[in-house]
Amino acid sequence: MKDLYQETLSSVAEVQRHFERHHYICDERIATCVFIAHNLQKPVLVEGPAGVGKTELAKTTAQLLDVPLVRLQCYEGLDEAKALYEWKYAKQLLYTQLLKDKLGELLEGTRGLRESMAKIHAHEDLFYSEDFLEPRPLYRALHEPRGCVLLIDEIDKSDQEFEAFLLEVLSDFQVSIPELGTIVARVKPLVFLTSNNSRELGDALKRRCLHLHIPYPDAALESRILSHRVPELSDRLRTEVVTFVQQLRELDLKKVPSISETIDWARTLLLLHAADLDAGLVKMTLNILLKFETDIEAAGEHVRGFVEKARQRAGA
Amino acid sequence: MQQTLENFYKAVRAAGVAVAPANSIEASRAVALVGYRERGILKHALSMNLAKSHADQLLVEECFEQFFRFDAFRDGARDSAPQGGDDPAASAEAGDKKTSTAEPRYEGELPLAKMLMAGDRTALAVAMQQAARDAGLTDIWFFTQKSLYTQQILQRMGLRELQDEIRALGEGSCPTRIATAGALRTAKDRLYEEVRDFVERQLGMFGKTAVQSLRERHLQKTRLSNIDLRDFRIMHELVRKMARRLSALYSRKRKRADRGQLDFARTLRRNVAHDGVLFETHWKTRFVDKPRVLVLCDVSGSVQAYARFLLLFLHSLNDVLKRIDSYVFTGSLASVNDIFDSYPVAEAIDKIMAEHGFGGSDYGGMLLDLERDCLRGIDHRTTVLILGDARNNNLDPRSHILQQVHQRAKRVIWLNPEPESFWNTGDSVMRNYRPYCHLTKTCNTLDHLERLLDDLLRAATAA
Repeated sequence: MKDLYQETLSSVAEVQRHFERHHYICDERIATCVFIAHNLQKPVLVEGPAGVGKTELAKTTAQLLDVPLVRLQCYEGLDEAKALYEWKYAKQLLYTQLLKDKLGELLEGTRGLRESMAKIHAHEDLFYSEDFLEPRPLYRALHEPRGCVLLIDEIDKSDQEFEAFLLEVLSDFQVSIPELGTIVARVKPLVFLTSNNSRELGDALKRRCLHLHIPYPDAALESRILSHRVPELSDRLRTEVVTFVQQLRELDLKKVPSISETIDWARTLLLLHAADLDAGLVKMTLNILLKFETDIEAAGEHVRGFVEKARQRAGA
Repeated sequence: MQQTLENFYKAVRAAGVAVAPANSIEASRAVALVGYRERGILKHALSMNLAKSHADQLLVEECFEQFFRFDAFRDGARDSAPQGGDDPAASAEAGDKKTSTAEPRYEGELPLAKMLMAGDRTALAVAMQQAARDAGLTDIWFFTQKSLYTQQILQRMGLRELQDEIRALGEGSCPTRIATAGALRTAKDRLYEEVRDFVERQLGMFGKTAVQSLRERHLQKTRLSNIDLRDFRIMHELVRKMARRLSALYSRKRKRADRGQLDFARTLRRNVAHDGVLFETHWKTRFVDKPRVLVLCDVSGSVQAYARFLLLFLHSLNDVLKRIDSYVFTGSLASVNDIFDSYPVAEAIDKIMAEHGFGGSDYGGMLLDLERDCLRGIDHRTTVLILGDARNNNLDPRSHILQQVHQRAKRVIWLNPEPESFWNTGDSVMRNYRPYCHLTKTCNTLDHLERLLDDLLRAATAA
């Protein structure tokens, strides 16, 4: 069976082409990053504002390499038991109860504690074997026979302890389970970590990763993305949408709309059978682009001007 | 090429990006992978491996552009024309050369002279790079070393031999030889300028940290009131750095909760001693202890010089600590959380100074407001930090309120910009407040501030 690294990505341009085939439009920078990460088997730390396609990048890479995507969503309080493995305590208890008689049988004829112990030790440690192990994302990722894309989402939300724990996983792709020993990855997963910068990450972690910052796209790129994601949109409306959103990003807003919002908005306009932007329509659907009441108010006064400019750009 | 990359890493480090050896190894591997053919991809590959944040990324890319620019010599003709009208000057010069009976032609053996006369800019650039490498130009640190390095590079390129050659050529009476000597002399001057420019550019790249860190060190020791407004930006970064470090220390404290999900394995293990009867329970849930900080900052006329910097510090703290309540006061207390949250630092400070600044301070009035608005919220987790000079304009200090605060709060800390010998002189009422503070300190340089906050936060997290 082919594993993840036998899939050949021979050049940056090829990566870009592959991505485009999977409807992920990216610039050279992103493609270079994936190319290097794949070839040197290095984790990638993806930063950037929400909604620019950080998670999507990992998903698309998994599709492209035709391996499963294992996702670990981080949050405050996430610990090893949730991320790596946990023993199935209930099952262990149940089994000890069920097997009580068997234990009695087994120990029949032995004299004294020492002898009984010796007899039990002669059997392998059944209760701490993989049968009683509840695998969590990291464990699963190490166990994938063909490798996988491991997405550790929003690493900045996790605690520093967890970050330190991740270091071992990311540098050697192995983890120690006290009862089982060290588990080494069958095939090193391709790791993407995403961060929204809500906390400064440790230097040790950053050092191990390639750093990729995805900014908001420029008009040309955004237009290409839209044409792939919402192909039904007419050229003219697309230009208008992109021009409008690009202008919106210049304002001082609490949450600037990102690509995902642009796509949602384009879909909405399509649903409403809009052929053209007009101020009324925009005002009505502005809540798809902007998520804060104050932002909507702040943008409200500019809508007319922006729409005007967008229509000019589209040649209306 | 490895040497070139090494030099590039050096330049990046000099620009202030911390490049660990492991990073440079990885970067070199990445470069080997992507090759040198495409400049853009090479740039991305390097910046991805070397930079660890978006700000770093921009720095690395700037370094790349500077470092890998083609250092070819400028066109001789263009260089000799002082300003504007490059082409006429060039053609005029060319014309001169043609009409002159004694066309300078160099027939000697000296490589440098040959390159100069042939106008072989690429060869010259290569020779210069080579000489610069031999002279160890990347170690340049201060601008005073500029002429030293320029001389060394020129010597290594063979300046002395060139001078000898020019002298030898000029001695005879043959017009061709004299003309050649003249041409060589001009070329030599041009070469000198080129090399000097080159050294200057390198100084810009490799000497950056020296300049900047000297400046930073200086700033750290300067009294807060003496720092010029133009240094505000650097100061802001310094303070931010400090505050971030402190907050990392600060937010780490966690406690085990005694409710939530039972940690079964641990409980079983701990209760083996009790014959498996579950006496001691252990729980999975832990929570982060987040002590609250309440900061009160004086912005009255008497501390006017310091106020901006106290506010700057406050703003930076606000950025990094989640649970901080910032207030400013002259006579009455005003919350500035909103201003800090919604404006960039310089603007926020200007706004606060305009709205609340100046005027005489009234600590008693401030304390009354504190009692009314905040006292209920102060508990054993709260640290109260007061920044001010305690010059009360002979009004009632109302220190009993501070006493209450002292009783409720975890710590009360008073930072006074005046040296201790000035306390209690004139209208300063430090003596009234001092008993109710866990700590009173003079604080008027960044060094002070840093040391103090370190203490403060350590105490806050240790308890």
